Amino acid sequence: MDITRRQFVKATAVALASAAAAGTLSSLVGCASGSAQGGAQAEGQKFTAVCRFCGCGCGVICEVRDNKLISVTGDPDNESNRGLNCVKGYYLGKILYGDDRLTVPLIRDDASTKGTAEGLREATWDEALELVSAKLKETWKADKSRLAFWLSGQQPITEGYACAKFIKAGLLSNNVDPNARLCMASAVVSFMNVFQTDEPAGSYADLDEADVFVTWGANMAEAHPMLYSRLTARKLSGEGVRHYDLGTITTRTSASADKTLIFKPNTDLAIANCIANHLVQNKLYDEAFVNDHLQFKQGAENIGNATMDDYEQTEAGKTAENVSAITFEEYAERLSPYTFEYVSELSGVPAEDLRELAEVFADPDAKVMSLWTMGVNQHNRGTWMNHNIYNIHLLSGKIARPGCGPFSLTGQPTACGTAREVGTFCHRLPADLLVANEQHRRFTEAVWDLPEGHLDAIKAPGMHTVKMFREMSKGNIDFLWSAHNNWAQSMPNLTRFLGMGDENRGIFDTFIVVNEVYPTLSTQYADVVLPVALWVEREGQFGNAERRTAVFEKAVDPPGEAKWDLWAFMEVARRVLDGEKIGDKDAFDHLFGFIYDKDAADFKGDDRETNRALWEEYRVFSNPSLNEQAQAINESAKLKMEAKQLAPYDEYLTHHGLTWPVREVDGTWMSTKWRFADGAQADGFDEVGVATYGTPGLAGGVSFYKSTDMRPSVVFRPYEPPAEEPDEEYPFYFVTGRLLEHWHTGTLTRRVPELDRALPEALLNVSPEDCEKLGVLDGDMVRVRSRFGQFDIKVSTAGRTEPPAGVVFAPFFAEEALVNLAVQDTYCPLSKEPDYKKTCVSIEKI
Amino acid sequence: MKLSNVIAGASAAIVAFQAAACVLKGETDLLRPPGAQSEEDFLSRCVKCGKCIEACPYRSLSPASQGAGVAVGTPCIDAREQACRLCEDFPCVAACPTGALRDVDGRRDVRMGIAVIDEELCIAFQGMRCEVCYRACPLIDEAIVIDYRMREGDAIHSVFAPAIVQDACVACGLCVERCVVGEPRTAIRIMCDAERARTANDGS
Repeated sequence: MDITRRQFVKATAVALASAAAAGTLSSLVGCASGSAQGGAQAEGQKFTAVCRFCGCGCGVICEVRDNKLISVTGDPDNESNRGLNCVKGYYLGKILYGDDRLTVPLIRDDASTKGTAEGLREATWDEALELVSAKLKETWKADKSRLAFWLSGQQPITEGYACAKFIKAGLLSNNVDPNARLCMASAVVSFMNVFQTDEPAGSYADLDEADVFVTWGANMAEAHPMLYSRLTARKLSGEGVRHYDLGTITTRTSASADKTLIFKPNTDLAIANCIANHLVQNKLYDEAFVNDHLQFKQGAENIGNATMDDYEQTEAGKTAENVSAITFEEYAERLSPYTFEYVSELSGVPAEDLRELAEVFADPDAKVMSLWTMGVNQHNRGTWMNHNIYNIHLLSGKIARPGCGPFSLTGQPTACGTAREVGTFCHRLPADLLVANEQHRRFTEAVWDLPEGHLDAIKAPGMHTVKMFREMSKGNIDFLWSAHNNWAQSMPNLTRFLGMGDENRGIFDTFIVVNEVYPTLSTQYADVVLPVALWVEREGQFGNAERRTAVFEKAVDPPGEAKWDLWAFMEVARRVLDGEKIGDKDAFDHLFGFIYDKDAADFKGDDRETNRALWEEYRVFSNPSLNEQAQAINESAKLKMEAKQLAPYDEYLTHHGLTWPVREVDGTWMSTKWRFADGAQADGFDEVGVATYGTPGLAGGVSFYKSTDMRPSVVFRPYEPPAEEPDEEYPFYFVTGRLLEHWHTGTLTRRVPELDRALPEALLNVSPEDCEKLGVLDGDMVRVRSRFGQFDIKVSTAGRTEPPAGVVFAPFFAEEALVNLAVQDTYCPLSKEPDYKKTCVSIEKI
Repeated sequence: MKLSNVIAGASAAIVAFQAAACVLKGETDLLRPPGAQSEEDFLSRCVKCGKCIEACPYRSLSPASQGAGVAVGTPCIDAREQACRLCEDFPCVAACPTGALRDVDGRRDVRMGIAVIDEELCIAFQGMRCEVCYRACPLIDEAIVIDYRMREGDAIHSVFAPAIVQDACVACGLCVERCVVGEPRTAIRIMCDAERARTANDGS
């Protein structure tokens, strides 16, 4: 099987990659893994891939000799990064070769050892899979509401697709959610509310053309390094290009911005409204754009905070998502209190700075790009804040045109590609479809060849992430399976979820399965650990922040007995579904017989063939003409499924990634850089989409053909305060986030010696003023306490991240400084995404 | 010595050294603790009592080895191993009984040498987003700054080139400790005070 694959690979994309990359690789060798380096030796075999880390989605080339990665270098043919990487990407190849790779399945016999590094013993795959399957089947048969799957924005697209199909169509459960709930959910819900379609209209190409950049709560210089390189290049090469950085702390992004506006937490809502107010009261908005394209709404207000478990049963919780139509005049009236003076007082930002920023949006000639990430999304009003950014871009018509646009950055390599596009959320089906929508279920049944009504069993959404972990802590989850994430470090309120108090110790009674590549805090709570293939140890696909889907080829075999995740899922699926029927057919074979031979306990084809087969089925969702019944539903229910059209699998290999909607024009598959914008497809505009569904000739050359009545919604969202505000007992806001050297919980980057050396410890940034007040010096250990928990960490006054007085910051990559023990699990009532940026804490020297 | 990369408009002279300058000149070029004055002054006062070594909370100081000749046993810093962390209260200086370490009221009073960047080895100069030295620097934006420039032959990417500000760098060596490049040598190194004085006398 392996040989066939290699030969195939060699015959196609690799030759292309090598030819294109010639001459640039030698100087950029990143992964220097010992003796294999050196010009005297023959070149290794090359494979195209995508970086394993952030949402930038930089392309890389893997060079392999003797089944070992000998170098990983930037892919000059990937449009997202053109051959460059950040320092993480430069040493990317080394993530495979940490000393403590998990290579054998592990089982915990004694649950009392949970929460320690001890207690796991080696097992065979057969024993581990039998145990997992038996526990899953037992829970499923007894009470499937006690099942939970926690997936990821790091799970390759076809794997997420197969898991979703198994869980939703096979187990008829919606208790699946991805870790993207912790990072992108507010963006998703806002996209759906405003545009009725998920993911941005613009692309990275906007970075090359904007006149003004506005970063909102985004330390892009560290969290999106290569995109920031691109932003900086535009500033250097374009005349008068400016950058305004808005945030609650001063970061490395502020360091190179032209102006930094530090605001008090949550007043970003008011700042956006004062810009909108300025545009509206002074008639500085784009009138033609407003008339042609927009509708106005307002929503439920004073919606309280989702801190307590019963929030969703309260009146505020039940009505938080309500919206109603208003007129433009009513919208203007709602905005009117948001004067520069009022917002300046509220936010602490000088009124003249607010005015200057508002004038940027008022300038009809300025191309403005807003960029944001977790400061906006991890917000107790995260969905609202996304709305408020769209509002000012929509009012000013600065959207869906080159250089112009609100751009929601993503944090994970395939938060878009898998969690969002495939839909591994508790309320979703693939391709933006919702479990609660009857026509969406019918369409999905058609694609999956299920009897009509089969999916009605899952019309009620399942548990979102925080609810899932809250229920587990209360002893209401019997089985949890996680893959491609490290929840025991990344979830908020770990004091509760890891059962560290006298109550809420359900984690010790839940049977937990963790797919992992290295020991983590999560494996310390696992009953079974399945050792899995990492990154290019199998073939997969990532979808990045600009709607770009790219394939990473299998380059090397997994170590020891480590296996492809998907194989483990299939092996459990075939055992659990044994004897089950869909219609009159064997359930497993009906769902997965096209890729998996259950008697042989293996895939029917090699990695490439398996991925291609899964992709081609998944692709029917966005190419309904491939399925007669699906096409009929698409037309009768006006689903417009081609709006997110994907190309045949091999096109992605040929092109080193493509940006959807991908359109076939004269036999060539072409990307779309500017969705909803009329213009030639060959130039990156959405020619086919606008011609098929939209109205050409409207203001701005744009047609929002996916939106209800073709009109995106400007939704008025007021300022409301953070869930908790500093008081005498907890006088500081604690902000957590990511830094450049380490990625997320550090499972991979901390095992790369160079990156570990570069940033060996997590520090708490405290302002000099607060240090003096607290009597602490740089380097002192302190205890940080909140209403939720506490952790110990070393203080830093070094200037890398400079919080203002009253705010402190620490990254979350270090398990020994486990900041999430103290972080609140209060979430945005609309998106259910937790607010990691505003937990109130006390600090005491220890 | 060839100086390059002087950034126009910067208030202080910002220098980076070419690769050739980054070879160690000899084992006598020891990086001394904060508060050491000239090498001559330091050697004349240091009695090798080891009190500064004991006082260092980070174990950054160690006695110079046999190869150091007359300096054997005097305190020095191997920045790659453990750089000076510029404690706010400088316990090493406070512990020195002879005044070999003296006159340090704050971080900016320290003068241990200067950091130099090898542009050939530094991956930031290739357009990679690294700048680990810059972000690690206790005097970020003072001692190490970023020289933002367009990447040659690339219209859409910039180079974030770290550059040392001569008058501000105190040579704590944290940049060297953290540098991700190790082979054939680090892309940034400390030219200690003795070496600096000697190369200045060489007139190069």
